[in-house]
Amino acid sequence: MYIHHYSCISPQQTFEHAHVETLHESADNKLTAKEPVYKGIPPGILRRMGKAVRMGIGAALPVITQQPAIDGIIIGTANGGMEDCIKFLNQIIDFEEGMLTPGNFVQSTPNAIAAQMGLLSKNKGYNITHVHRGLAFENALLDAMMMIKENPGNNYLLGAVDEISAYNYNIDLLDGCFKKECISNKDLYHSVSEGTIAGEGAAMFLVNDNAENATATVKAVQTIHTTDEMEVNRTMQQFLEQTLSGKQADILLTGENGDARLLKYYWGVESFFGEHTSIARFKHMCGEYATASSVALWLICNNHQWPEHMIKKQGEAAPVRNIIIYNNYRGVQHGFMHIAV
Amino acid sequence: MEKEKLKQQLKQQIIQFLNLTNVKPEEIKDDEPLFGEGLGLDSIDSIEMIVLLSREYGITIQDPKEGRKILVDINTMADYIAKHKTK
Repeated sequence: MYIHHYSCISPQQTFEHAHVETLHESADNKLTAKEPVYKGIPPGILRRMGKAVRMGIGAALPVITQQPAIDGIIIGTANGGMEDCIKFLNQIIDFEEGMLTPGNFVQSTPNAIAAQMGLLSKNKGYNITHVHRGLAFENALLDAMMMIKENPGNNYLLGAVDEISAYNYNIDLLDGCFKKECISNKDLYHSVSEGTIAGEGAAMFLVNDNAENATATVKAVQTIHTTDEMEVNRTMQQFLEQTLSGKQADILLTGENGDARLLKYYWGVESFFGEHTSIARFKHMCGEYATASSVALWLICNNHQWPEHMIKKQGEAAPVRNIIIYNNYRGVQHGFMHIAV
Repeated sequence: MEKEKLKQQLKQQIIQFLNLTNVKPEEIKDDEPLFGEGLGLDSIDSIEMIVLLSREYGITIQDPKEGRKILVDINTMADYIAKHKTK
């Protein structure tokens, strides 16, 4: 599967005139998205959109503009518009199950993002939303790969969105997902405590089976659910054997997120790569959220040179051709991708 | 409540309920159509307005034809609220 166009709204300068060398700092353990002035969304529709829908549509429109003839929309999101969902649920309680406004409900369902994209682009084709928490984007990728195999010549808008909502942040904080002490994303990997910092964003890609002028190739995707680091290691070993066929990866891009409990998984995976392979990280740029691996894919599409702040270990590989992404969501959901550029 | 004060309050409530973040109360004219031209509201907004009348003024609109006559502009809404409000 080939990626041709791509767009991203994130806590960094990734949308229009992308500049990821300068790192924007987190505040209160949150990396909130730098939302642009949205163009191309009618004001009447924009004012009803929650943040997740807004970011998703905002990131999708530049891709759709470059390739209007899309045959389907495939989105991954763990929570969709959670902020609107909570507003709606609170209304049920506040107004004793009386008269409720439709806006929050309409915007809060996870598939509202893909549906709104379909409405705005007048696309009546395949429209689906994958909601497999930390593997929602990887499952969307697998779906796109299968759709392209079944429908040669088709173009699909593929992407992922998730937002920080006050409700989710507080619940996840109580669950130990985020750090209790306040730290900067610049110090994320120096932290030895449990938990990480929250993030949000939207990344969109135009994918098809046309190799000509493609930016990147998605060679393979694999997912597993486990808490056993030995099983993760075995899966990585098999994945590398199958997809690289004896070649070495040039970069390993990991979702290391400063959570001391998850380091064992990342150290295990890193042990498969020698002097040749550089190791890079991205969660200090976008924070932790269920579909953050979509930002890793966007960085690969966008980066001709990797900023120093991403590099954990500089390898010998040059030029960069084969990149492995390994992402881990809460020590349970593991995603592996092989991307060639 | 004095009619002018009611109109001012109503404009602020419309902005809040419909998330019209770029509109200021003084920009909404009393005789400007709320739907179509003027403020440019649509059918989903009309449901939000009916909820507004219910929650803020205790007014229930059950007949759609009646609703069309009330939700014309700020003047028609304020007149109806002044006559029928229960809270």
